[in-house]
Amino acid sequence: MEGRRREPDTSAWGIVFALEESLMFARNTRWPVIGVAIAALLVGACAPAPSGTQSATTQPQPSASSGPKVLKMARNAEPFSPFVPWQIDDNPALFISVNVYDTLLRTTKDGVSVEPGLASKWESTADGLTWTFTLRDGIKFSDGSPLKGSDVTASLDMARGGAKSAWKDNYKAIKEITAPDDKTVKIVLSQPYAPLLSVLAMFSGGILPADMARATDAKDYDNTLAWKTKGTGAYYSEGWKKGDPIVLKANPNYWKGKPSIDEVRIEYIPDDNTRVLKLQGGESDLVDFVPFSQIAALNGQSGVKAQTFTIQQSAFIILNVTKPPLNDVKVRQALNYATDKDAIIKSVYFGQAKFMNSPIPQGTYWDKNLPGYPYDLEKAKTLMSQSAGAAGFKMDMQVRSGNTNFANTAVILKEAWAKLGVTVDIQTLDTAVVRTNYRAGDFMSTPTAWTNDMNDPTEIVNYAMRGGASPFSYWTRYNNPDLNDKITKADLEQDVKKRETQYSEIQKIYLDAAPLVFIAYLGATAGWRNNVDGFFIDGLSYYRFEDVKINK
Amino acid sequence: MGRAAYIRKRLLLMVFVLFGVTVVIFGMVRILPGDPAFLILGDRATDQKAAELREQLGLNRPVPEQYWMFVSGFARGDMGQSLLYRQPVGDLVLRRVPVSLALAAYAMGLAALITLTFGILAAINKGRWPDQLIRVGFLFALTTPNFWFGILLILLLGLTLRWFPVAGFGETPAQHVWYLFLPALTLALQLSAVLIRNLRGQIILTLRSDYVRTAHAKGLSESLVLLRHVLRNALLSTLTIFGLQFGFLVGGAIVIETVFALPGTGQLLIQSITARDYPVVQAITVISAVLVIVVNLVVDLSYSFLDPRVTYE
Repeated sequence: MEGRRREPDTSAWGIVFALEESLMFARNTRWPVIGVAIAALLVGACAPAPSGTQSATTQPQPSASSGPKVLKMARNAEPFSPFVPWQIDDNPALFISVNVYDTLLRTTKDGVSVEPGLASKWESTADGLTWTFTLRDGIKFSDGSPLKGSDVTASLDMARGGAKSAWKDNYKAIKEITAPDDKTVKIVLSQPYAPLLSVLAMFSGGILPADMARATDAKDYDNTLAWKTKGTGAYYSEGWKKGDPIVLKANPNYWKGKPSIDEVRIEYIPDDNTRVLKLQGGESDLVDFVPFSQIAALNGQSGVKAQTFTIQQSAFIILNVTKPPLNDVKVRQALNYATDKDAIIKSVYFGQAKFMNSPIPQGTYWDKNLPGYPYDLEKAKTLMSQSAGAAGFKMDMQVRSGNTNFANTAVILKEAWAKLGVTVDIQTLDTAVVRTNYRAGDFMSTPTAWTNDMNDPTEIVNYAMRGGASPFSYWTRYNNPDLNDKITKADLEQDVKKRETQYSEIQKIYLDAAPLVFIAYLGATAGWRNNVDGFFIDGLSYYRFEDVKINK
Repeated sequence: MGRAAYIRKRLLLMVFVLFGVTVVIFGMVRILPGDPAFLILGDRATDQKAAELREQLGLNRPVPEQYWMFVSGFARGDMGQSLLYRQPVGDLVLRRVPVSLALAAYAMGLAALITLTFGILAAINKGRWPDQLIRVGFLFALTTPNFWFGILLILLLGLTLRWFPVAGFGETPAQHVWYLFLPALTLALQLSAVLIRNLRGQIILTLRSDYVRTAHAKGLSESLVLLRHVLRNALLSTLTIFGLQFGFLVGGAIVIETVFALPGTGQLLIQSITARDYPVVQAITVISAVLVIVVNLVVDLSYSFLDPRVTYE
């Protein structure tokens, strides 16, 4: 993923995975089957058949009726940001944060609107400048102390102005936050800002006790202390050290009632195959990032399930529009038409992705009626013949090492675009290098993916479509002053209907200008044992353990 | 030269080797393209923010000064702050060293057992089927990438037979022994493949020597000859390889730690290289170098216990 919030980089695993790939077995539905077959042969030859009792002795089942209910999860990555909501800048940390720190509002499960969180209701003045939020009654932190309006103001003040906040930009429109009393929070804006409610539903606005919130901003604050949490969320942590499993305990004071699962233990298992094996072996109840290739295979086995959830994520190719002939819109459109999205969805994402019809992910104001660029080689050839690239050209495609999906996409594109006379030079580079290059404009094309952090399109639109200043329309260097104005206007518009129309227009302009090669909407995958119920990844790829149950 | 003088000399040499290691690793991580500031701050960071961070982290100081800070800090036992985790490097790395060391020691222990058993078995059955079987079998272990071998072991002993856990480290010491068995075995099998070939050859060679014939002539039992006279002499060169392989273990364990999800230094090293987390990479490399040097010293010293004729000069 790209954009502000980041997944920890795994490109060095690429060395390992490339080796696996070269063996032809890895990350392929066939290989576990072959492996099991070999194993079974060996077992048959030299050992007595396994009996059920052995599994009971090696793996005590967490779902046993006596004792606390423990959910064992295996994750692909460890958190690395300080565990303070507004300082969090990586997915593994924020996924845990939403289970520990509540926000004033929450994003709905479908990811396209907001619902009450700590605030049960809210209202704004007609000019949209003053917003008043009423806190729920009787909300307590995990240690039993009551939540006060001053805790909310202190936390949000840190999020918008703290020296260490990673998310200040989102709160720029806020002039002042006050707590007239313990139950009320008042936010005054310096100018109307339509995405406000979406921003308040983001994980970065998690609420800590006022003293704790302020302490985290001190220059010499010990970040390990932040893992001894005090939030109003469903779970709390008593501390964590990198390398250990993360242990979350049910908050007895949770305002929705104590969650069904008493303890969540999150283990870090970086290798995709190992994670799936842990699930199959019953050592994990739940695993994330199941390889797309293994979803179908897992569902064919007894005892486990796997699923792809729709999230607001898209995969595409960034084109540097300042590098001729990519400065010709016809060349860019031709590349789009010559890209067989369905083929990529089928062979790279194993059918677990959807055709990308608009420049923004399938969240709020996504225009489902836009056509995208359906595969049409003839049209592509015609466009190319009328363009600055008619004579054919060579272009680099910088692929970050370790990301198999990007690498496979690049190979398919190389072949497809050769039909237009484009010679793609695939360069596999370390992620850090690719980043340095696209910041410097030193590239022609590179595959990447975006995930929405909030349910409002303002984030992606400002990041990927606004030109003239960093990040230069997602580093494409596309700059359309007229579009820039429209983007600013949409941020200020209060009327929902008008805003929708504005965003449709913005999407259409950007789609036609094609600074990207639009490919697919991706999903988030997970697998779990049959006795796990209610696991759900929402549109912003958050999941909440409060919804999960373990059945016997 | 006596043993004590020899050790002194080797320790002095170690200082020079370590100096070389620090220079090379310090230079190498800085030659790697990619700016840690943007890796820490993310893509949206402004150039000004990145500059501030570089200032704060000391990344814009002259390179010799940065090197001096690294080396002098290390000498004081201060390995600096991790750029990515914003925690002291010492805390991060030292908690993981025992995991990797335990894995290496476990693997070497298993390798010693396997090597002695099969090396002797192959040698005394030279040319017959047990010898052939052992040689072909371990050739397979040698030529198979160890992560793949690891996954095979997981499938067989973990998933199908359920004798061992699939992956992880466990929480109690007893569990650690249990969880580390498969990764240690994976490493040990590959390690023994080299050692067995060597030991088998050495035993066969020694069996032909005059003093063995004499021992037989004296009427000593076969096993006594083998254990007291043959093995002790044959082990010498195997032991050298054994020591050298410790370096391989430190390296090979990086991949195995990933496959078996062990929270060791290898796993941390890979993350840190990708994140351009210079202080962590430097710390792990220097610690590994010290370990390799110390183990090789111990191996060199052990020769004299096996063979009193060995002197150190």
